[in-house]
Amino acid sequence: MKARPIAAALAVLGYVIMLVPILFVVASAFTSSSTLSFPPKGFSLQWFGKAAAYQPFTDALVSSLLLAGCATALALALGVPVALGLHRGAIPGRSLLQGLFLSPLVVPELVIGLALYQQLMIGLGQTAFAALLIGHAVLLMPYAVRVTGAALTLADPALEEAARGLGATPWRAFRTVTLPLLRPGVMSAALLGFITSFNNVPLSLLLQSRDFGTLPVTMLDYVQQSYDPVIAAMSTLILAATIIVAVVAERTVGFTRIFGGIN
Amino acid sequence: MTAAAQFIDVSRTFGDFTAVGSLNLDIPEGRITTLLGPSGCGKTTTLRMLAGYTAPSSGTIRIAGEDATRLPPEKRNLGMVFQSYALFPHMSVADNVGYGLKLRRIPAAERRSRVAEALDLVGLGHLAAQRPRKLSGGQQQRVALARAIAIRPSLLLLDEPLSNLDARLRVQMRAEIRRIQAETGLTVVLVTHDQDEALEMSDVMVLMRAGHVMQSGSPAEVFPRPANRFVAEFLGYENFVPASLSASDGATTLTVRPEHLEVVQGEAPDGARLALPATVTGIAYRGVDRHLTLSAPRGEGEDDVTLIATVRADHSRADWRPGDRVTVSARPEHVVELAD
Amino acid sequence: MFHRPRAGALLLFPGLLLMVLGFAVPSAAMLFAPPGVSPSDVFTRLTKMLTDGYDLQIIGRTLTLGLIVTVVCVVIAFPIASLLARSTSRWAGLWLALAVFPLLLSNVVRSFGWLVILGSNGVMGKIITGLGLAQQAPQLLYTPLAVVLGLVQLFLPLAVVSCYSAVAQVDRGLDDAARGLGASRLRTLWTVVVPLSLPGIVVAATLVFAGSITAYTTPYLLGGSSQRMLATQLFVHANVTVDWAAASATALVMTVLVFALSGIGSAVARAKGRVA
Repeated sequence: MKARPIAAALAVLGYVIMLVPILFVVASAFTSSSTLSFPPKGFSLQWFGKAAAYQPFTDALVSSLLLAGCATALALALGVPVALGLHRGAIPGRSLLQGLFLSPLVVPELVIGLALYQQLMIGLGQTAFAALLIGHAVLLMPYAVRVTGAALTLADPALEEAARGLGATPWRAFRTVTLPLLRPGVMSAALLGFITSFNNVPLSLLLQSRDFGTLPVTMLDYVQQSYDPVIAAMSTLILAATIIVAVVAERTVGFTRIFGGIN
Repeated sequence: MTAAAQFIDVSRTFGDFTAVGSLNLDIPEGRITTLLGPSGCGKTTTLRMLAGYTAPSSGTIRIAGEDATRLPPEKRNLGMVFQSYALFPHMSVADNVGYGLKLRRIPAAERRSRVAEALDLVGLGHLAAQRPRKLSGGQQQRVALARAIAIRPSLLLLDEPLSNLDARLRVQMRAEIRRIQAETGLTVVLVTHDQDEALEMSDVMVLMRAGHVMQSGSPAEVFPRPANRFVAEFLGYENFVPASLSASDGATTLTVRPEHLEVVQGEAPDGARLALPATVTGIAYRGVDRHLTLSAPRGEGEDDVTLIATVRADHSRADWRPGDRVTVSARPEHVVELAD
Repeated sequence: MFHRPRAGALLLFPGLLLMVLGFAVPSAAMLFAPPGVSPSDVFTRLTKMLTDGYDLQIIGRTLTLGLIVTVVCVVIAFPIASLLARSTSRWAGLWLALAVFPLLLSNVVRSFGWLVILGSNGVMGKIITGLGLAQQAPQLLYTPLAVVLGLVQLFLPLAVVSCYSAVAQVDRGLDDAARGLGASRLRTLWTVVVPLSLPGIVVAATLVFAGSITAYTTPYLLGGSSQRMLATQLFVHANVTVDWAAASATALVMTVLVFALSGIGSAVARAKGRVA
């Protein structure tokens, strides 16, 4: 018995399931007919123009980018100190706290979304943006804490001690030695956080308002109304942007490694 | 002497790099053959080709007379001991040793007795139920050995088997492996970069450099008569004197081990093959020995020859001092003529 | 500078505030006492849910599909991971990147592809009628098959990444040793690589299972109202019928399932890790 032919067959099947549907989306975006069908009839770029000119999409894109940027910044601003505190400080109940900061990975996102909808938007009358910002920051917290924490475990505490021995004040030693060592970890967390926030559906689903909706949820709503190639064109644009982000990520921090930090 | 395995014009390249080039080698049956050389000399690639982990780029490998060039490792019935031991961490010592027997569908009762036999051979019968990671490095090494022997391999292959042990244990294991070889009569191929290990353990030693065999033969043949400068340097000949400083035909260089140089004040002893005036330039104290660095003039406009001599401290006279003018000599049987 | 407990506490405080006020308190309130609903109402709805045929069917479907997705993902991901981790080809890195890349891509975009393939005008229907296997294209969308395909596509990359790091940490020398002792490739995989990477495989299975039973986008797009799962049902309670007691009960079931799964998963992974 040889393992390779069986393994190779399963691997091919796996890659087909992972990638082929994406190719179909791209192919059907270039159709000249007005229905989503395959094989596409004719060739046209009209649907890209329509997608780019469709205001609900452009508004939602701006909203999603704004939200992802703010949520990532907030999660890092709060999460990096948490990682430092958990790593360095003698904190009572450390593992319990660690569990709390990582638990948004386990609690279903739809549940968090409904909770914030009830308590913040209905209970306290907050805007959709405020509820989304808090929800997404909570969702990204585990990434910020864990990825930064992983970078910290790699940073030798003797380095900071060496800097102190050479005459640096504690703050200066931290700023000039430890912080630069954390930079790759923080960069990874930022990238991962931004993408996670930008793509999120279940958490954002209930936290929408007439003035503020995110792109993935707007696209889901669109499919429910009409089923035409505009959605394929929009998807293709998102795919193109994601590829660019992935290539940049691979060149800078190595995106296969980023996921190593999470699992 | 029949060959247990043969390499016939075997070479292996990795991209532009030639790890082994056109190797012809017979592994004699029932003996310990050592592949010796510095890292990157091709000795490990040679062993891995014999074991079937690396395919030769060209040439033929025969095991017990049969062409085995394209045979996968599991069909070769060779016992390999890895540098890292590669013990299965999720199995007990006994299960590790019995793994190959299970694959050969040996009945459980016989399997148990052969596992016990192999473990007794390496003196670890009492640790059969342990997990490998609970064992010391030396014990792990013995388990790896027992596992390789238990399948009654046609050859036992050892890849730097002692390099992860501390110095004392290493010396002890050399004798142990010799004993096991003698008791089992196995054909052994051992890869090492340690000349002492090779000298002590080999029936045949094969010195390799850059994928080629530089010299092979028994330690008694090779050690006193290195065939070229590489082998001489590798075996610890540190003095290389241009033949022009001493009458000799054919050779271009003469080489002598540091402990075979004699250093005297005044005339060289009668019958010396080499006799050079020199100046002491450095002294290192090594207990009962003195390690002298000397400088012998070669001639007008040429750099001096640097010599190294290990001599016994002589308490009947004052110790050596830098600047002492001396005569360095060597007896004919200690001088090796090299062509390169 | 952060070796004193007080400094540590100060660093933790803002983050802790967010987690407590923006996550723990609202979640607890929603699960046990949503606005205008008493905890006993939630409890009554929960007992009804665990006895009612329709609700039980949704729970059953969620668990069954989740289990199928998990098995399929592990069965496909492990071979991919072991081929990539043991490959000496210079293309292995590219293949790994191709398997990881979908993790960065929006779930919405990934699931749309199946609409094109399985939809009423889709490729699959045309292939089936084209080959004369059926007069009319069968209903493929809004079937369990569609949901399973969509979820497998969604979670395979995650499974590949987890299995890959599990296989990569198994010393290649052990493969060589097993082969040398007479084990075939398949035997080596089964007796050495699988047992030693089992903790990683368990982690992968847990992540996929938990992800599948809480996923929203894919069951919504590909399962519709005929293949309701817990997540899509929760959305209906929360946003369509606005029955907050039912929403809380559904959310409780989902949360308890996921926590139980993660607990079991990490306990099993730890036990398997000890054995190795």
